[in-house]
Amino acid sequence: MAQTVMHEKATIRPQPESEKPRFPYHLINPVTENRVQRFLEAFAAIIEHTNYKPVLDQYARSSMKCSSCTTNCPVYTATHDAKDMPCYRSGLLLKTYRRHFTIAGWLRSKVTGDPGLVEEDIDEMANLFYRCTACKRCTMECPLGIDHGLMTHLGRWILGELRIVPKGLEVSTIEQLHGDSGNTSAILPHALLDTLEFLEEEIEEMLGLKMKYPVDEVGREFVFFPAVSDYLMEPETLMGNLAVIHAAGDADNWTIGTGDFDGINYGLFYSDHVLERVIRKMVGEVTRLGGRRILIGECGHASRTAREFVPVFGGDEVYPVINIMEYTLEKLEQGKLDLDPNVITDRVTYHDPCNIARSGWIVEQPRRIIRSFIRNFVEMTPHGKHNYCCGGGGGTVSVDELHDFRMSVAGKRKA
Amino acid sequence: MDTLAFARGPLFIATMSFMVLGLLRHIILQTHGVVRTLKRTPHQDVPWGRIFRKSAEWIVPVSHMSTAPWMKLASILFHVGLLLVPVFLAEHAFLWARGPGVNLPTMSHEFADQLTVLTLVAGIFLLGYRIFNRISRELSSRADYFLPMAVILPLLSGFLACHPAWSPLPYQSMMLLHVLSAELTFILLPTTRLVHVVLFPFDRISTEIHWRFVPGAGARVAETLRGTPEGAEV
Ligand code: SF4
Ligand code: SF4
Repeated sequence: MAQTVMHEKATIRPQPESEKPRFPYHLINPVTENRVQRFLEAFAAIIEHTNYKPVLDQYARSSMKCSSCTTNCPVYTATHDAKDMPCYRSGLLLKTYRRHFTIAGWLRSKVTGDPGLVEEDIDEMANLFYRCTACKRCTMECPLGIDHGLMTHLGRWILGELRIVPKGLEVSTIEQLHGDSGNTSAILPHALLDTLEFLEEEIEEMLGLKMKYPVDEVGREFVFFPAVSDYLMEPETLMGNLAVIHAAGDADNWTIGTGDFDGINYGLFYSDHVLERVIRKMVGEVTRLGGRRILIGECGHASRTAREFVPVFGGDEVYPVINIMEYTLEKLEQGKLDLDPNVITDRVTYHDPCNIARSGWIVEQPRRIIRSFIRNFVEMTPHGKHNYCCGGGGGTVSVDELHDFRMSVAGKRKA
Repeated sequence: MDTLAFARGPLFIATMSFMVLGLLRHIILQTHGVVRTLKRTPHQDVPWGRIFRKSAEWIVPVSHMSTAPWMKLASILFHVGLLLVPVFLAEHAFLWARGPGVNLPTMSHEFADQLTVLTLVAGIFLLGYRIFNRISRELSSRADYFLPMAVILPLLSGFLACHPAWSPLPYQSMMLLHVLSAELTFILLPTTRLVHVVLFPFDRISTEIHWRFVPGAGARVAETLRGTPEGAEV
């Protein structure tokens, strides 16, 4: 095929020590030899086996560099650095595609002498693709609908095949797919049981009610997958989930599985291969427990990955996916939850998570729930589909070294 | 045969055929891409309603005017003029009759003049925007300046050919410039980003279907690269 012929023609020169990359994040064991060739091989393999080619063709053929998207990108509007322009960043990948995988690009290089991909491009991509939070706000203003979130995802996957992945993401993925715990926070099942017991005691102390988290119950309607880190860092969320499910009369209708209790899927951020395996694991657990629906906690990316990719990677078992906010509203509207409309009088707002709001999927549901027990609800501008990313999107929240960058972008915006 | 007659005759037919075939090729390739995408993924329903709605929203992007409104207004005008003037100009009617043999309605001379001037002003504004707006300038390459100039040229030369009093060149030369620059545009249309003219309907289709991934693709990529379906992380 043309593509394999062309990518062999790339310039491959060893990188001098002084130019060795310095990444803005830690890596575990990145490829350091023949990176240009390895990058192009990974790109070629991905083009061959996936659906990215038509999109790359479309973008490479028609991107107009009109700059409309820049005003919508929270990163660019915070930094005003030309390299943070959505079209510039995606352009790095598109020009590589054009040059190495299209006949027109190859012919043009014969005339212009364009050497194609070089080491520095890989370093630049490794840096810039982790400065995009894949929030897709730019896509809304692009006349051609160019999805920079998708380009970031693809760029990161190619880099991922060279193990250029922030350590924070890769370590968690390794634990989730290959570790004893099978989840991104390395919580072993017995630790989970201890935590659940502790939360049950807390809730009893708080509400005076005895409630239990069902574990490994077979044949229940819902199998529950929150972001597993909630068990460590956001216990109130999980206590709230338990209280709502109880109040809705579903105490015996759901379960947590010790085989997999993690909704987190870092594959969305950097690799289709990871994405697929995490989804298969989740679907396998639901099948093991004889569940009928997948209930995801409040986590935005966990909800989106399950909803979008269970139908793709789940095989024959396409379990319906429901997010806890959808569930709560459903029960509220069925009259199963009786909320006191005056219970909270403080002024409250709601920040939409990009992964569930940008598509318009979960925008109204939380607002209807909030209005049913909070009188003083105010909207931020912008909100809903047009919200700004919190700054932790695209997995950057899990990469400690990117903290300062995130604060300089989203911290500024939030202030 | 003199140069102008050659440009109007065989060269016109050749470049026009090149354009039509080239654009058709893009449409076929892109349609094939959409079909292939859907074939390879189990998630196959396409929200056609939303695609049409979104496409219509972008044909007349009134809901997207809040940022850079003047640029967007100029862009709309520029596109409208570039589409309408060449197609419905009375002087071009013979081309339609000669080629596909259709009789299209034509616009009045006054209207054509006004629309041409507006289109030229819009085109020059857009070019100026690229040059003077920092964001646009930083994003632009040589081709981004060249392409608008290339599509403005036939419009400008055509206008001047119709108004010899303002033309710096004799009629014959201006006409030759007009025909040749139009033919250059015919060649550029399928070979540069101008191809968005026909790929436009695919923009929103892609937006809706491009996250439809292929089951097993990750393992096949790993197999190709490392000879094992195991992930890169092990
Ligand atoms: S996805 Fe978000 S962060 Fe990335 S370029 Fe678009 S707007 Fe900017
Ligand atoms: S709005 Fe679209 S075409 Fe314009 S610069 Fe941004 S990505 Fe490129």
